[in-house]
Amino acid sequence: MQRCLGRLVIIGMAVSGLLGVCNHSARAGGAPPNEQDSPEGNLAIVVNTSNPVDTLSLPELRKVFLGERSHWPNGRRITLVMMEPGQPERRALIREVCQMNESDFSRHFLHGVFTGEVFVSPKTLASPVGVRKFVFNVPGAIGYVRASEVDSSVKVIRVDGRLPADKEYGLRIGPPAAH
Amino acid sequence: MSERDKDVMQPAPVQPGDRALSVFSRYPSALLLLVVFGVEVGVGMFVIRDLRAASVEAQQMYARSVLGLRQIGELQYQAQETRRSTLYALTTNDSNLQVAYADQSREADRRVTEGITAYLQQARMPNEIEVGRGLQRDWFSYLKVRDEVLASILEGSTKEAVDMDLSGGVPSFERVRQDLEEIKRLYDVQASEQLARVSASSRRSIVRLVGVLCFTLIFATFSVWAIQKSRMIGAVQLAKLQMDFVASISHELRTPLAVIRSAAENIADGVVEGKDQLAKYGSMIRNQSRQMTDLVNQILLFVSTRERKSHYIFQPLQVSEIVNSAVENTAELAREAGFVVEQHVEPDLPHVMGDRSALSRCVQNLVGNAIKYSAQARWVCIRAFREKAGHHSHGEIVISVQDRGIGIDKSDLLHIFEPFYRSPAVRDAQIHGTGLGLPLARSIAEAMGGKLTVESRLGAGSVFALHLPSAKEKDRPVAASSLGRDAVARK
Repeated sequence: MQRCLGRLVIIGMAVSGLLGVCNHSARAGGAPPNEQDSPEGNLAIVVNTSNPVDTLSLPELRKVFLGERSHWPNGRRITLVMMEPGQPERRALIREVCQMNESDFSRHFLHGVFTGEVFVSPKTLASPVGVRKFVFNVPGAIGYVRASEVDSSVKVIRVDGRLPADKEYGLRIGPPAAH
Repeated sequence: MSERDKDVMQPAPVQPGDRALSVFSRYPSALLLLVVFGVEVGVGMFVIRDLRAASVEAQQMYARSVLGLRQIGELQYQAQETRRSTLYALTTNDSNLQVAYADQSREADRRVTEGITAYLQQARMPNEIEVGRGLQRDWFSYLKVRDEVLASILEGSTKEAVDMDLSGGVPSFERVRQDLEEIKRLYDVQASEQLARVSASSRRSIVRLVGVLCFTLIFATFSVWAIQKSRMIGAVQLAKLQMDFVASISHELRTPLAVIRSAAENIADGVVEGKDQLAKYGSMIRNQSRQMTDLVNQILLFVSTRERKSHYIFQPLQVSEIVNSAVENTAELAREAGFVVEQHVEPDLPHVMGDRSALSRCVQNLVGNAIKYSAQARWVCIRAFREKAGHHSHGEIVISVQDRGIGIDKSDLLHIFEPFYRSPAVRDAQIHGTGLGLPLARSIAEAMGGKLTVESRLGAGSVFALHLPSAKEKDRPVAASSLGRDAVARK
């Protein structure tokens, strides 16, 4: 059983890497600029306004979104907020932050909950507005929305010291999965 | 006359009270109507004011109590909605639904918070402000717990949420509920107080209305009674005065008639012999008949002045003319009575405007009275002088007639100018008269634009003063020859 799971993980990582290369080559191949390339198309990581955390490195963010970290420095329990599968924001987060694909991500949580390595399971919301409202209501929540969807009810945290409006910001939503 | 005498002697000009009484006796019904109208207008104003006050009170009561209670009812509903929506979130595991319930809860709590703020802005009484602040404090305390409960529900910690709600949410919400009940109670108390005020105001209006209407009724009844009684007394007095007048006139006429009759009988019976005797009797008859004529003329003149039918010829007159005329016409009377009549007419007195014969008649009446009431002191003094402190802008001339006779009692001074009035003292003293001399003199003085005043002390004598305005410069004659021809006005 464990061997079977290990093979699946390896296959998933390979597919994910292949997709990442494809995405990268698509961006580097001189495709015309679109909404995804503008700052408004970047993925913003949002937390509750009472959360003292202002910045996270990409590895730290990965640990948070993979459920490997259970509490914030202020003692609040971390609640992950995800959008429903198929949404470009969700795909971008799994790809850019977790460096997985959807099935690997699902499998990770399935496995982690089973083995006790994952402390939290994500809440799934249907829309960016729902994500925002959830984060607003829950002090320990962390979620993501398109940068253009951000408002004052939530706080955007820096990733590797950069905000979505910065040029070097690393979390881009990218092209739809069909490409 | 000494200063002391002047202090003691009482002047008797026309009293304002007398005028008011005269007006009242002349127009009693009109005055009564005026008073009743005034009272009714006053009552109406009071009632309108009270009704307005009651209306304002009622409006305030509606605004503060009814609308306030409605607002508190809305607050209670929204507070329940806040809690209900929070608890609804417990019934599902769907995060989307939970977020929707959280939204509903927050929308309801926003309305409650706004309602409490509005209540605090409207609150005026200290207890209202205190209760409002307590409600605000308890509401924020509940919202803190509610936020934690919502967070726990959304996190998926249902048990933790329920525990938190039971331990913190329920008691704090109960405090909010009690605060809202307290505010309702305050509104009830205020409404009761305002209702009591409106009722008191209405009662006050009714009492005032009834009171003033009763007063008006009593006043009107009393006034009618007083008017009727006054008229009756007046009629009785008038009848008595007329009877006295008839008796006096009869007596005044009977004496000369008796003399004339006796003289005529003597002549007819041949008792009178010789030319000298006949001339004496003729003179006697002439004098007595002249006296009777004077009496009748005086009565007719008085009647004509009462009926305002007198026609006066106004012209500039020398004061000495008036005085001389009066002295000449009373000279025989004075001589027969053995009186000394002194005259002191200030030289260069200005002319006065008036009717020659009327003014002469006025002064004659004063001189005649002085002779009649002088008793043993057979002295009369007529003075004419300029009065510097007079009421008329272009000067005033005073013709005074002074005697050292029996004087006039203070109580009689108020009545001596009334027609037919004769004081009890002169009646007792068997001094005959008609009671028309002074009223006639006074009405002549007033018709000439002047006035007649009196100063008197019982047993010491009297001074009657005729005040006349001096003629204006343009009315004065240029030469003495024009006197009598320049009649300037006719009344």
